[in-house]
Amino acid sequence: MASEDTAPSHSHHRDSIKSSVGNTAANRRRQQAISIGKERREALIRAKRLCRDSIFDDGDNEKGLDEGEMVIDEEQSVLNARTAQTVQELKSSLSYQGKDATQKTIEALCALRKLLSKSEVPPIEAAIQGGAVPLLVQCLSFGSADEQLLEAAWCVTNIAAGGPEETKSLLSALPLLIAHLGERSSGHVAEQCAWALGNVSGEDMELRSILFAQGALLPLTRLMLSNRESTARTAAWALSNLIKGPDPKAANELIRIEAITDTIVKHLKTADEELVTEVAWVVVYLSALSDKAISILVRSDVVPVLVNRLVGSESLQLLIPVLRSLGNLVAADAYITHSVLIVGNDITDQVLYGLIKCLKSEHRVLKKEALWVLSNIAAGTLEHKTLIFSSEAVPLLIDLLSAAPFEIRKEAAYTLGNICVGPTKGSDNKSDIIVTHLVPLVKGGCLPGFVNLVRSADLESARVGLIFLELVMRGYPNGEGPKLVEMEDGIDAMERFQFHENQEMRNVANALVDKYFGADYGV
Amino acid sequence: MDSMDSSVASPDLGLALGFPFWVASRRRFKPDDPFFASGNLERELLAKHVALDLTEDERFQLQRMEIADANLFCPIAGCGARLEYLEEFEDHYNTRHMASCSVCFRVYPTSRLLSIHISEVHDSFFQAKVARGFPMYECLVEGCGAKLKSYKSRQRHLIDKHRFPSNFEFYKKAHPSKHQRQKLQRKAYKGGDAKDQESFMDLDAKKESKQTRPKHYRPQQEVKTGTERESEMEVETKLHHPQTTETKVVTNCEAKNEKAKAETEMEVEERIEDIVSGISKLSTVDASSPSSVSFGHRHSRGFAFVPRSVRNQNQISKREQTRKP
Repeated sequence: MASEDTAPSHSHHRDSIKSSVGNTAANRRRQQAISIGKERREALIRAKRLCRDSIFDDGDNEKGLDEGEMVIDEEQSVLNARTAQTVQELKSSLSYQGKDATQKTIEALCALRKLLSKSEVPPIEAAIQGGAVPLLVQCLSFGSADEQLLEAAWCVTNIAAGGPEETKSLLSALPLLIAHLGERSSGHVAEQCAWALGNVSGEDMELRSILFAQGALLPLTRLMLSNRESTARTAAWALSNLIKGPDPKAANELIRIEAITDTIVKHLKTADEELVTEVAWVVVYLSALSDKAISILVRSDVVPVLVNRLVGSESLQLLIPVLRSLGNLVAADAYITHSVLIVGNDITDQVLYGLIKCLKSEHRVLKKEALWVLSNIAAGTLEHKTLIFSSEAVPLLIDLLSAAPFEIRKEAAYTLGNICVGPTKGSDNKSDIIVTHLVPLVKGGCLPGFVNLVRSADLESARVGLIFLELVMRGYPNGEGPKLVEMEDGIDAMERFQFHENQEMRNVANALVDKYFGADYGV
Repeated sequence: MDSMDSSVASPDLGLALGFPFWVASRRRFKPDDPFFASGNLERELLAKHVALDLTEDERFQLQRMEIADANLFCPIAGCGARLEYLEEFEDHYNTRHMASCSVCFRVYPTSRLLSIHISEVHDSFFQAKVARGFPMYECLVEGCGAKLKSYKSRQRHLIDKHRFPSNFEFYKKAHPSKHQRQKLQRKAYKGGDAKDQESFMDLDAKKESKQTRPKHYRPQQEVKTGTERESEMEVETKLHHPQTTETKVVTNCEAKNEKAKAETEMEVEERIEDIVSGISKLSTVDASSPSSVSFGHRHSRGFAFVPRSVRNQNQISKREQTRKP
């Protein structure tokens, strides 16, 4: 597993700090991850990122190391007390009128920032309760020294990495953060503010809405064009959080920005896999929420570039959004299957190759979502079905249908079924059954997997199983279908539905049993 | 876009609402759909570099906690047992819903139904009492306590009092396959008795030949039009009349009217039941009748109780509906 995903090793400073901090921190994090209490779990799954290390990437590691070397290892109560005290110091330095006011402020900010970034569990609540937020807002005022802005934004970043209440306490800081994204700001300040905004957006739709209304979208997009890779990366991530919805308005607005597609394509082609990853997530949400974006993206270079990445990358982190973007696009618009992924084109073979690669991977997510994409392609033209049918996907599909975890089996089922059912309908208004696919698949041993689905407690899976059995019983030549189903204990599985609480399922199952295993069956 | 959302009217399958034949269509999910949950989780873990430290088990535990709120209940009517995760269902089913008759190997979802079956089908003492006019046929709804004098009248009771679907039968056609399987099972278990079980097969054969017997012939009781068809709860039973090894067989959804029912009740009762059935037929198929039969459920009080699993089922189907774009 560790070999599967690449540690972000391009950021040198991060590596060196990681090693200097040593295994103890990693172990501690691991400890906390193992004993997965609810709070811990929430912290882990949040779409937030704590900023533990300086964003300075100019090789000036000494400074960073010096400040960041020690991991603060104290009891929570002691930590909280220190935090409260530090906030008080900040307060007094801000009201200090003397010559070194700024320096004092920066020192106090620095101390607060360290507490918030070097502790295993940052004392966010203690900081808020100590009254840090209005002070930080004050520190973010226009005209402040860059270092002050940086430290203040860093503190805000980590406060925003907390829970809902804590994040919402930062409302008064938001307009300032957005303002400091501007092109006149120092690059580091802008980046740190982008990070803070990323955390705030990651909280919920309400905050996303507020940020959108306050005009965060455009400056963040501009930052994504930065030459500094870390800035582009952070901005892309923040943007992906900002547009993730479920309200599509931000996504719809983003696609209207001129040259956004070109920017996306450019970034997707870069060598920096982390940047590609974050930009791919932007595409994920564009393609999930905005029909306009879909229409533009499918006709652009984005698709071929995504396919290249799908084929060429081994990084789980990158493959997930690339795969999902393609999935969203294929699912939403027939244009892709009919006009881009035409059978016979190189790109089509590549997509299939890439998807099969994901099927073979050991990652659940990749398998499941690749199957989903494949099932949608299999819902395309007859050529698509034949293409998939004749590929090495089929034995994999049957295997996954039989042996994989439940959610993967369901997707494999959809794919296999779609391969057997044509895009056209007969005079009886039922879809045509592609017997030349159905027979080999059944002979290849797919029936047990479908019968198993019928037995599932999940209604949708059971339905999929039943409907496939109907295909077999109706469409398998020489009327052999029912017998084949029976041999796999299909009757048993269907009869279970007599006691199922869902009326439709009972009807469907009973109808099948009665039609195909009626009184004259076997006579 | 659900592959399964188009139902085609299908008179040959006898379904009013149409059969959801497979349609190959694309499926689209919203970004916050549970389908993407594990991928989203993976993203966040990887970004925090925690993923490197987590084992597969720990990650799986996280995912489980993520979907732990998803209410998963046993879908067998009347059960409502909470399931931690889907894979658990098979075990649960095998331990709780496989009450099987050791005589005829038929399977029931609860031990209560099994014992009712055994009494009604394999117990000659039961039949003796029936013949003498005792009300022996228990109401299937746990807690009701009513006892009826005949299979038919019990059926009427279920329909009239407990709003069972009008073509409900506490009965299941015997499938030849099942017999074949049972034969194999029997061979494995014991050498003898095959003859005894053979009689079941013969009874089936006899049933076929009895179809034209005029005396106890009764045409299809219910009107099996598409519109009146409803869900059916079926459990097998066969009557073992001591004198005639007549089998009462009722087939459920049939298009052919030549299937007759052989009756063993007294004809007086038949006439009464004719009247009763006529009255029952007058009542419309009620859309509000529960989609599940909650017999066997521990907490049911008659039929007022809707099992949690049914309530949740409604929620689940609502959720499925919102998935359609």
